[in-house]
Amino acid sequence: MNKKYKEIKPSPLAEKLLLWFLKEDLAEEVLGDLDEKFYSLLENQSARKAKMNYWFQVFNYLRPFAVKQFKLFKLNPFFMFKHNFKLATRNIKKHKSSFLINLVGLSTGLACVILIGLWVMDEWNFDKNFEDGDQIYRVLANHQIGDGYSTQVHTPDLLAETLAEEIPEIEYGTPFTPAHFFKTSKISIPGKKITAAGSFVGENFFQIFSHKLIYGNKDEVLKDKSSIVISEQLAHNVFGGVEEAIGKSVEWDMVDFKVQLQVSGVFQNVSSNNSDQFDYVFPIANFHTVVPDRPVHWDNHFPSTYFKAKKGTDIASLDSKVKQFIKEKLPEGGYQLFVVPYSDYYLHGTYENGKQAGGRIDYLMLFSLIAFFVLIIACINFMNLSTAKATRRMKEIGVQKAIGADRSSLISQYLSESMLISLLSLSVALTIVAIALPYFNQITNKEIAVSLSWQLIAALFSITLITGLISGSYPALYLSSFKPADIFKGKMNRSLGALWARKGLVIFQFSLSIILIISVLIVYQQISFIQNKNLGYEKDNIIHFPIEGKIAENKESFISQIKQLNGVKGGAFSFTNLMGSQSTTMGLTWDGKNPEEPVRFENCGIGLGFIELMNIEVLEGRAFSENFAEDSTLIMNQTAINAMGLKDPIGKTVNLWGQDQMIIGVVKDFHFESLHEKVNPLFFRYNPEQALTMNVKLEKGKEKEAIANLSAFYTTYNPGYSFNFKFMDTAYQEQYNSEKRIATLSKYFAGFAILISCLGLFGLTAFSIERRMKEIGVRKILGSSNFGILKLLSGEFTKIIIISILIAIPVSYLIAQNWLQQYAFSIDLSIGFFLAGAIGAIAMTWFTISLQTARIYAINPKDCLTD
Amino acid sequence: MLETKLGDFEETILLFVGILNEEAYAFKIGEEFEKQTGRTVSIGAVHSTLSRLADKGFLESEMGDPSTKRGGRRKRIYTITALGQKALKKSRDFKISLWNQFPPFATKKLSTF
Repeated sequence: MNKKYKEIKPSPLAEKLLLWFLKEDLAEEVLGDLDEKFYSLLENQSARKAKMNYWFQVFNYLRPFAVKQFKLFKLNPFFMFKHNFKLATRNIKKHKSSFLINLVGLSTGLACVILIGLWVMDEWNFDKNFEDGDQIYRVLANHQIGDGYSTQVHTPDLLAETLAEEIPEIEYGTPFTPAHFFKTSKISIPGKKITAAGSFVGENFFQIFSHKLIYGNKDEVLKDKSSIVISEQLAHNVFGGVEEAIGKSVEWDMVDFKVQLQVSGVFQNVSSNNSDQFDYVFPIANFHTVVPDRPVHWDNHFPSTYFKAKKGTDIASLDSKVKQFIKEKLPEGGYQLFVVPYSDYYLHGTYENGKQAGGRIDYLMLFSLIAFFVLIIACINFMNLSTAKATRRMKEIGVQKAIGADRSSLISQYLSESMLISLLSLSVALTIVAIALPYFNQITNKEIAVSLSWQLIAALFSITLITGLISGSYPALYLSSFKPADIFKGKMNRSLGALWARKGLVIFQFSLSIILIISVLIVYQQISFIQNKNLGYEKDNIIHFPIEGKIAENKESFISQIKQLNGVKGGAFSFTNLMGSQSTTMGLTWDGKNPEEPVRFENCGIGLGFIELMNIEVLEGRAFSENFAEDSTLIMNQTAINAMGLKDPIGKTVNLWGQDQMIIGVVKDFHFESLHEKVNPLFFRYNPEQALTMNVKLEKGKEKEAIANLSAFYTTYNPGYSFNFKFMDTAYQEQYNSEKRIATLSKYFAGFAILISCLGLFGLTAFSIERRMKEIGVRKILGSSNFGILKLLSGEFTKIIIISILIAIPVSYLIAQNWLQQYAFSIDLSIGFFLAGAIGAIAMTWFTISLQTARIYAINPKDCLTD
Repeated sequence: MLETKLGDFEETILLFVGILNEEAYAFKIGEEFEKQTGRTVSIGAVHSTLSRLADKGFLESEMGDPSTKRGGRRKRIYTITALGQKALKKSRDFKISLWNQFPPFATKKLSTF
């Protein structure tokens, strides 16, 4: 053959095709023949022709005698399924303990995933159940504070209306006052008074939000100023039915504001997955009636603003129009407006320095991740236990392979085994979910109900199948790779790779568990730090209740009368309780104020004796006193004085809303907002007109008695009203409800993760002891002590745990640091947490191992060496 | 043994096996067939017939030596079995007896055959 032909080769693709369908035992001779043909053709024909001929020859081998038998035609899938099922059940029966471990682990893991999945779905659908929901937007305001920004939902009263008038892309706009502002408001008809939470809205409210109206037309119901639209529930509570409610007049009142209204419509109760909850809505014009002296201008912020944009509006250009709009209305600036989709705010509601910084979505991600890890840990157990037990099944595999089972049928056998177990786990998991759902709802403050839908069923089954696939894949690939000849020769050297894979998986499991332990410790510590931090005022033994009825007119005399009661130390009124941001203003000016640098002050109206009652420390000057006329005096906090840059503030005059006010005192900073926030500038103002809250201090140890006395006095003093009081420390803790929920949830999930990891370790130890039975017997005969053997066995696992600890500590440090950053005041990350986590993990490992190793004490060398 | 009849193409291939002797493998047989008949045939068709003949018991085969021409691969060499010889002979005898009964050729012309 000519040398140059050597370089021309038949098409590799054709060769591949041939090898794919050709029987393996024919490959050599056929390839040889085809090669000879190819090269002989090359001698007197073109390479192209020779190649074409090669293809022709390949296709001519598509004859029954030469083509492989493909499994597709050979196997009866149903028969194999039955066969695999039988083998799986037999195997389960044979290895009961590892089956139980897998079942418990996988079902707990699946239950976690299902619960979290339900929660995530519920959160995800929040605020998304409106028609044209994607056209509804919310306006937020970035206020400049110092050199940063604070993002607020409160907007000027007129914003919604004016935006809808002036920007053509906006179809409708409505102001909306969060219902919790008016949650103690009353709806009454003669002879009946019911507390309900409601909102002031614009007349287009129902054109924006498609809350279903049982009675009334969405274009009309809020047109009239004196109309009110109530929920089905409220209609039943007040009138005993929807029909009965229509057209009736009711009185709305809160504190000493009153207004007469007529029921013009009834809406279906607001669904629970809506962030704005209310029992009634009525026109915001009434708010301006009840609070007549309220300044309405572009720098006074109260309601939220929602609007509906026209279909197909480009939101970016609309956003810049809204920004331009406020620049024209308020050229001196101070804040900027921006627009976000209404449904986004629920999950993405946190803003840092004016920029979007996550929100509930972070928790969603966090818990999805945790649930996923719990499931992975359970899958790892399955992998580890089944590969560890491989030596026991060696002969089974060998016989199967020798008889003619090929790799793929073995893989399908092991996969069906893991599928069977994960299906069984699914049924257990569903039971767990059914039992746990009420508690879960309690912790997450949700009303999740499981309704069977095909999506849910499909989701459940796909999760289960994926679980089965993940947990079965490694054992299936590993076990089916053994060569039968080696098995029977006993040449099965436990492959180093598999051993390392198993160890690696255990390390992964335990690293996750340790990270969870440390994180839970830190979350708990931070929460207790918050709850016990010295806030700068006393919150213990103080109750507060709304000022209503007769008390509103006789605040001072009411206070002097309750002071006489046994167990009551004193009382003082205020605008609201001290918790959270209340009312802010930038309308304070002073000599030397830089007009370019607006300062936002917290405006806190209080009564006499309030500062003393709360034990707020007065640093300079004095608190409000009955001996002075206090109608033009202010008390400021330290931060305010610093922000204003005043020296010797006492006696200085500042200007508030155009009136001169004298600074008479400086108080030490106290935390009126949650500890997420720094302390902001604040001033106290004596303001008996806007007093909504009565604060009463009780004598320590006599709280019960004092409350009984107060309650009795209240009913006689203020007939027709009920005594709805709240302890201040309870109210304080409510600020941290979401943190507490996270702490509780993460505690449970960390618990599950640890439980499952320990179960896996338990199984592995059992297996390791079993495998080393003879070794233990020999050691015992040679005089090794039980303790020595114990050390030997636990040493192996201790090494693994120590590696896990080394991995987990830096990871959890980063996570914790990241989490603590959101608090303006947080604990220090001391080494103690990590030490505690590490020690906890080692203790847990030893405990788990010792449950198994206790068995070695009972081993009689004679028994394990004779069999 | 399912089928012991010998088809026409099978008979030709069987004869080529006998002719080529040591060199009787699929590619060579195909080559020889093409040379002597002027018809083209694919190696697959020859191979398929060879394996059918082997199934009928007319051929035996074993792997020969590797050769560099074929990329170091071995070839399968076929040899005719006693049964194969018998079948060939039977077929030839049958044809001759038919020729003998065919009048125009029944006289002298047949002797030149």
